[in-house]
Formats: sequence, C-alpha cells, structure tokens
Amino acid sequence: MHVVWLFLYPIVALVVGVLFLGLSRKVMARMHWRYGPPILQPVIDIIRLFSQRSASHGRLFDLGIVLSLAGSLIIVLFLPFGDVAPLSGSGGLLVILYMMLLGPLGIALSAGESANPNASIGISRKLMLAIGYELPLLLVLLAFMSRYNTISIVEVVRLQRATGWSIASFPLVVSGVAYLLILPAILAIRPFELVQAPQEISSGPMVEYGGSYLALAKVQHALSMFIGISLSVNLLFGGASHPLIFLLKMLVILMLGLFVNAAFPRLRIEQAIRYLWRWPSLIGLVGLVLAVVIGR
Amino acid sequence: MDRNQLVKWLKAPAKMGHKYSLHAVYFCTGCGIIEVPPSITARWDAERFGVLPTATPRQANLFLITGYVSVKTLRAIIRTYEQMPEPKYTVGFGSCPINGGMYWDSYNTIKHLDRYIPIDGWIAGCMPRPEAIFVAVTHLWTLIDKDMADGYKRYRKHYAAYRANQEKVLRGLDWPPLFPVEEQ
Amino acid sequence: MTVELLLGVALGGALLTYVLGKISPGLRNAFALLNALALVVMISLLYGQSFERALPLGFLGLELSVRMNMLSWFFAVTILGIGLLSVIYSLVYMRNKERLDYYYATLLFINASMLGTVVAGDLLSFFVFWEMMSWSTYLLISLRGGSKAIFAGIKYIVMSLIGSLTMLVAIVSLYVSFDTLSITELAGHVQSTTMGQALFVLVLFSVTFVIINALWPFHTWLPDAHAEAVSPFSAILSAVLVRKGLYGLYLLMYAMLGFSMLGKLAWGALSYSNVLAWIGAITIVFAAFRALMQNDSKRILAWSTVGQGGYMVLGVSVATNLGMAGGTFHILNHCIYIALLFFVAGAIEYRTGGIRDLDSLGGLIKRMPVAFVGGLVGICGLIGVPLTNGFVSKWLIYKSLVLEGRPFLAFAAFLGTWGTILYGYKFIHNIFLGQLPDRFRDVKGIPFTMAVPIVILTVLIFLFGVLPGIPLSVVDQVGTYLGFESLNVSIWGIPSETGTLNVVNLLAALAVAGFIVWLVLRAIGRSVSVDQDDTYAAGAAIPSGKYHYTVGFYSPLYRIVGPYVRDFVDAFFLKIAGWTGSVCGVTRKIYTGFVGNYVMYIILFLAALIFVQIAWSPW
Repeated sequence: MHVVWLFLYPIVALVVGVLFLGLSRKVMARMHWRYGPPILQPVIDIIRLFSQRSASHGRLFDLGIVLSLAGSLIIVLFLPFGDVAPLSGSGGLLVILYMMLLGPLGIALSAGESANPNASIGISRKLMLAIGYELPLLLVLLAFMSRYNTISIVEVVRLQRATGWSIASFPLVVSGVAYLLILPAILAIRPFELVQAPQEISSGPMVEYGGSYLALAKVQHALSMFIGISLSVNLLFGGASHPLIFLLKMLVILMLGLFVNAAFPRLRIEQAIRYLWRWPSLIGLVGLVLAVVIGR
Repeated sequence: MDRNQLVKWLKAPAKMGHKYSLHAVYFCTGCGIIEVPPSITARWDAERFGVLPTATPRQANLFLITGYVSVKTLRAIIRTYEQMPEPKYTVGFGSCPINGGMYWDSYNTIKHLDRYIPIDGWIAGCMPRPEAIFVAVTHLWTLIDKDMADGYKRYRKHYAAYRANQEKVLRGLDWPPLFPVEEQ
Repeated sequence: MTVELLLGVALGGALLTYVLGKISPGLRNAFALLNALALVVMISLLYGQSFERALPLGFLGLELSVRMNMLSWFFAVTILGIGLLSVIYSLVYMRNKERLDYYYATLLFINASMLGTVVAGDLLSFFVFWEMMSWSTYLLISLRGGSKAIFAGIKYIVMSLIGSLTMLVAIVSLYVSFDTLSITELAGHVQSTTMGQALFVLVLFSVTFVIINALWPFHTWLPDAHAEAVSPFSAILSAVLVRKGLYGLYLLMYAMLGFSMLGKLAWGALSYSNVLAWIGAITIVFAAFRALMQNDSKRILAWSTVGQGGYMVLGVSVATNLGMAGGTFHILNHCIYIALLFFVAGAIEYRTGGIRDLDSLGGLIKRMPVAFVGGLVGICGLIGVPLTNGFVSKWLIYKSLVLEGRPFLAFAAFLGTWGTILYGYKFIHNIFLGQLPDRFRDVKGIPFTMAVPIVILTVLIFLFGVLPGIPLSVVDQVGTYLGFESLNVSIWGIPSETGTLNVVNLLAALAVAGFIVWLVLRAIGRSVSVDQDDTYAAGAAIPSGKYHYTVGFYSPLYRIVGPYVRDFVDAFFLKIAGWTGSVCGVTRKIYTGFVGNYVMYIILFLAALIFVQIAWSPW
C-alpha cells in the first residue's frame, strides 16, 4: 500500500491542484457576475499547450522547468494527506522548507536562460517577495516546532489530534493568525500577484514559456497551490484522518483565499514587503515568544 | 458547442484543445481595442468560451488585430506573429486591416494586411460590436473543425512571398527569416 | 610517517620553490605542484593516528611539541587539499604575471604555517606558526599592488596583530600560572584555576579567533582582503585560513577548558556560549544583507564567507553532538563550495579581462558551461539546496537549534539562508544568464588546468550531499575526540528518533520525478531552438546583446533595508584609524628631527620653569 501511495499521491495532488485552479477560475467569474469557464478549462488549456510547437532557449531552459516540477512533485510526498505520508520520515519540516525552494529555483534558472528582461524582473520580484513572506513564515514555523518540540510534520498532526486544532489552542492561535495573514503571499494570489503581473511585465518569468513549457509551468503552479494549502491544513487545522475530509478542509481555505483574491488590487513589491515585515512579522514574533515562554 | 462530447475529445484532442482554449494576443493598434475590454469582462465574458487575453505571444494561439495598421506597427505585428507557437490563428478586426477602411488613401497605413501575414478570418464593420467577436470565435471553431484555419501552414508554404512583401513595404527587416528562403 | 617530516616537507618545499624559480619557471611550477601533491598523500597516510611528540629543539627551556589527532587531521586535510587545488589552478591563472617565485613560495609557506598551527602541540609553537601565517598572508593579499590591495593588506595586518597580541597576553598569563604550555597538560591544570583567570584567558583568546574567523564586530578586514587577493589565494583565504579561528575555538573551548569549565562560566542566561552564539547569529543576518548589496562577484563571496562562519559558530556553541557535527561538517562543506566559487569567479575574471562587476557581465553560460555548472552547484551548496553537501550540515545545525530550544537563533540562521538565496541567484543570473553581450561573443571556455579543480570540487559537493555518511564518519570522530557522544551515522544520513534525514530517499524521489517529467516533455512536447535575440519585447526588435536586467537587481529591497544595514563597525574602525593617524601627524610636527627644535623645546621648558618659580615660587 505504501508503494502504491508513493506514486498515487503525486497524481492525486496534481489532479486536485488542477481542479482547484479550474474551480478558482469559475468561482472568481461568479464573483464578477460572469458565467465563467467550465471547471475543466485548465485541462483543456494544458491539452492545447501540449499540442503546440514551443520555442526553447537552450538546455537550461528545459532542465529548469523539469527541476521545478519534479521538485514540487516530491514535496507533496512529505506532506501528510490524511493518514498518507509516504516520505514524511525523511527529514520533516526543515526538508519541506528547503524543498519548497526547488520549484522557484527551477523556474528562476529556466526563465533567466530565456534572456528576457521581463522574466528577470519577475524573478527578482519573486525572490524579494519570498524573503518578505519567509520572515514571518519562519517565525510561525519555529513557534510550531518549539511548541510541539519536534521537526516532524507528522508528529505535529498527531499531537493536534490529541490536543485539538492548533489554531484553536492558546499560544499557537497567534502564530496561526500570522500564518493566515501571509497565506495570500505564499499562494501568490492577489494582492501579492506581482510576480506574474501580466499588465506590467508580460507575466514575468512566464514571458517566454509557450506550448509544453507553459503546460508544465501551469501544472507546477497548481501543485504549489496544493502544497501551500495542504501545509496550512496540516499545521493549523489539525490535518485529517481521511483524505476526503482533508480535501474538504483544503477547499474551505481555498475559498477564503479566493475572497481575498477577488477583493484586493495588486500591491507594489515595496508595499508588499513593508506589509509582510510589519504586522504578520510582529504577530509572528509575539506568537513565537508566547510559544517559547508557555511551552517551557 | 461540442465541448462536452467526450468521444470527440478522444478522437482529436489537439483539435478540440485548440477550439476551446483560444488564448488571444490583442494587438491594440487602433480604435477597435475599445471593444475588447467589454468582451473579456463581466458584460460579455469571453472566458466562458475559453477565450482569454494573454500578455505574450508565446502563450497565445489567437492573434486579434484590432484597427488600422500603420507601417511602423506592421513591423511589430510581423514580429509578434512569428513569435507565436504553431498552430496559430489570426483574425482581423474592423474594416481598416481588411482594406484600409477610412485610411484607404493614407500614405502611412497598410491597406491589405493579408499580404504580409496570413489571416484566417475577418470581422467586418466600423466598429464591429463585441458580439461580433463571439460570432468570429464560433466561426473559427468551424474552420478549425474542418481544418480550414490553416493560415500558419500558408505562411510556411509561401514564406518567400510574404517575406518579399514585408521587405518591400518596410524597406528591410532587422531579423533573420523564420523559415529558410531559397534563392530563386 | 611523522608530523615532523610533514612540516619539514611543507616548509622546505616553500623555500625550495623560491630557489628553483630562480633557475627555471617550469621547474618551479612542477616542484610546487609535486610538493602540494606529496603533502596530500602524506596527510592521507596519517589518517586515524593519534600521538604527541616533543621536538628536539626547545625554546627558553620550554618544550616544543607536535601532535596529531582527529581534530588536527581534519583541519590539515582541508588545508592541504585546498592548497593542492589552488596550486593547480594557479598554473594557468597566474601565468604571465609578475613575481611568480614570490607568489608560489609564499602560497606554499602559508599552507605550511597553517599546517603548523593545527599540528602544534603547545601554545608557543601554536603562536609562532600563527604569527607566520599572519604576516605571510599579509604579503600575499597585497600581491596585486595598487592602493586598494595595499589598503586591504594593511587593514588585515592591523587587526591580525591586535589579535596576536591579545593571544600572547593570554599565553603568558597561562604560563605564569601553570609553568607549562603543552595543550594536553594545560587541559588538566585549567580545571583548577579560578573563574576570573579562566574568563580572562577565554576572552583574550576569543578575540584572536573571532578576528581571524571574521565574526561580526571584527569582520571588517575580510571583504576587502578577499576581494583584493588573487583568486586562487582568495579560495585559500576563504576556505581554510579564516577557519583557523574555529580551530582555535575548538581547541580552547573543548580541548582545553572542557564542558565543566564552560558550564561554570555563566551568570544566568549570560554564558560564554550564549554570547558566542548570538555573535554568530548577528553575523549571519548582517552578512547576508550586506552581501545582497554588493556588486562585485568576489565581494559577494567574501561576505558569504563572513555569514557562513556564523553558522559554524552557532553549531559549535550549541554544544550537543548534533550541533557539533553540523558545525564541523559545515567547515568542510564551506571549504569545498567557497573554494569552488572563488575559482569560478576567478575563471570569469581571467577570461573576460578582469571583470568582476556584476552589472556588466551576462549570458556567459553559452561560452563557459563548465564554469556555469561549477558556479550553480557551488551556489546550491552555499544555499544548502537538498542533495548538496551544505544541506546536510545546515540541517544538522537547524535541528540542533530547534531541539535545544533556541528558536531565535534558528530564526537568524534561516533568515540568513534566505538572504543567501537572493544573492546567490543574483550571482548566477548576472554572470551566466540573460543575454550574452556583444563584447563577450568570442570569450573562450575555461582552460583545462583551471577546469580540473572546478570539476573535482563540483563532484565532491554532490558526493557529500548524496552520501553524507562518508565525511560524517570523520566529523563524528572529531566530535568523539572532543568528548561528545558518538552520532549514529549511516552512509545516507542520520537516523534518530526525533526526525531522520535520509538523503538517498530524496535523491531517488527527485530522480524518478525528474525523469518522468523530462520524458513527458520529450515525448509530448515539441520545441524549436531560437536565438537569444528572439524574445518578446512587445513586438519590437530588441537591441541585441544590450538587453539584460542586472543593475539594481533588488533595488526595491535595498530601498527598504539599505538604511539599516550600513557597516557601522567598519566606519567606526576607520574613524579610529583616522584619529590615530592625526594624532601621529601632530606628534610628527613636534618631533621634527631638527636638533635646533629640540634645543628650543628644552629652553622653552626651562624658561617656563623659571617663570613659574619667579611668579609663585612653589619650590
């Protein structure tokens, strides 16, 4: 069963991620009072993209996108999905934090090779945004690690099953609030959609991607959305004992994210960093201090 | 609309994919572009047909030229068209790209766009309303279905002639030929 | 095989290189290479041996001795290994430059003196070798000439001399109290000393080691020195010489004082290791943000050296077997990837005619693929991307910090890593990616002998990243020598009850996933190769070779953090130096050197005395 899940789980994540993408397009359309595309529209897009002849800018252009998608596929294996967590025993939260690097790094290398300044601007924004939300995120994750005194995410989920959701327990609720405040930045939705910003920098790192490259990049985007939401369910909302309940929780968080996405305009990168380093970081810091003081 | 017919999807996935995922580059050359925002936003909602604006030609397969084409713009149009990945479809919007329209005797506009790049369909009118874009899209579906939207194939086949026309009006191009041109 | 012979070969080789250089340059190069190679072979034969032997010559009635144990061996291997690669690299890099006899001789001499410091069995010979290392390094930093290089050298030697003097005071204090300088004997005596003296000695030694390890308040010499030295020597400086400070801390904290003494030196939360850890944490964050603002390829690497030193100190000061293993392993890893990166930066400099400015390079991946792979792997190691060596050591450090309940230190370490990602990507992007400028169209690839060290180090980064058990077994022996509990190391990582690390699993998963995705891309996707000029620019034909986004790569971030991360310490030191200079200037105006002036001073003084006597008659 273990081996089956090893291969099945990334596929499930992929399917769920792509469906979430379609769902979010539909829901956004309904919020705009539009009819909206069918939920399977991303699948149609991907089929179309794979049948196009795309332009390649060199070997690193190909390898970077492969690295990015492969990296995202294996982080999924580290995240508990209900009771399923095939590789969770190989390093815990620290490894997840580092593996989350591979996706953006692959895209960054590949887009850098495409020799388009729009792509470079997009990547520099992406990296700056990343250091913007990593600062509060690290405070939050460290609060969890010190509270539960473990670096294993499976352990975090197991302990929550005994003591209740961490967002409902006292010192961690502060960190949980900080996490929810930076979640839009992690998912790269509005108001933090400044990396792609089609109207300013021609969709940033994606500017030279067409055909199969864009298809893979879309799949990677879907996966990174899955990863971001799944991490928050596992950390804040107690994971789940069954994959279906887990999916339901993920759906709720996705909807929350979509409301934010529909309501806010895009920030400039400086505004984004200033926001992320002000309130979420402050709350995250308070959360970490509380977790350390009370946790002893 | 045969978007939900699974059999067709299994038979020709690429063709169906192209039909229902037309990502468009809107080339905002003239007044025609004013009709595009209503068509992609809440009023007419092009996304329900799978038509979505993109920011770069690399991601697109539909090229919509909305308005008159000056000589200077033609250079950018050719460049953008050549950067789109195949298969790609082109639609001229309004009467100006068709025959020059009200600019038919201007010294600095192109009168027949299809001499320089292949056009798969025209939307006549000055201005056509947004609904006309949807009519054009449904018409393009039929063309794709019958393999008649073959502008990119024509471009490849007659590239030498197209290139000659382009060079004539632009007085030399500063990029290499897209396809090998045989010396004749 | 004895340590005396090793030292003799090293020192004699340096001298002989100089002499041979006067006869023939080819002979000199061959001999330098052979000497470095022989030293590596000799040190690898010494693996696992442990002994201490008195040298036949004494000094002022003191016994001098050399010793070999796991700690010495570990540092000696890094010194000699990087020394060998650096000599290989120099063969082409330094060709057609002036004063090569001097260069090779000094390079080998520095290696020999560094080797001396790690095998010294008593504090006197340790001090002697330390001093030899200090001034010979000074000679080589300024080799390139020019006001910048000379200034960098002066900055280094002044700080280094201050360090040496404080160490000398500490050594004399120990000698006066215990009448011996042998490290093993001192370790026994020190346990009975008073707290006051222990603290005194500890602080004085620490100043020396913190200066040479370039931790935060004393980091200011390093960026200048590393950027201005020639690249093969920058690699040595950054990879091994700086880490002599950590060797000193190991010696001081664990080999001499031991845990019981360190544990006693605490007043509440304010303990020696806590202070050291916080210095490390400040160094990490400060250096990361400083590096972000640099525009010089070697200066970025120099600042990263400062920052990585902080990680090692964090690992060392946590003082669990996990943290210790992390810190020690990070020394080895840092030595590998920073040497690689300096070699790469040097190769770029060599091929582009001395360009180090990150704003004016670009697109070199098309011309120098080997340098690109080396640079990318080196940066990945520096960041600690999984499957490179840096990941394992950083993972160990983080984990020990989290489990020891030091989340704020862990936060600093993590944040430093994210800074590393930003400047690491800038390094890769601005040099290798983007458009190839017209003036670099004809740049050639790296010459063979320069590529050899780059390839070797690249392979090592992957090898130690995928099979960390190989170096970790040595690191573990260092830990057990210093009195830590042995780690349960297996070939692929570290199993333990609170979260295991298994790198081979990671590799297998990434390989399978990558293969599948690549297969999909190959099988379904079709693509045509296009030229670098064929990129989207809103339909315009782009200016070929002039279209690369590098200047102000992170400018919005600079605007936010810039005002807060100025190097106040450096400015402060420079101001002190300025004041000292002006005081000296004033003194020079008084002591003019003319006898007449001195006579005048005497007469004026006497006149003043007489005036005072007449006026108030105090005498």
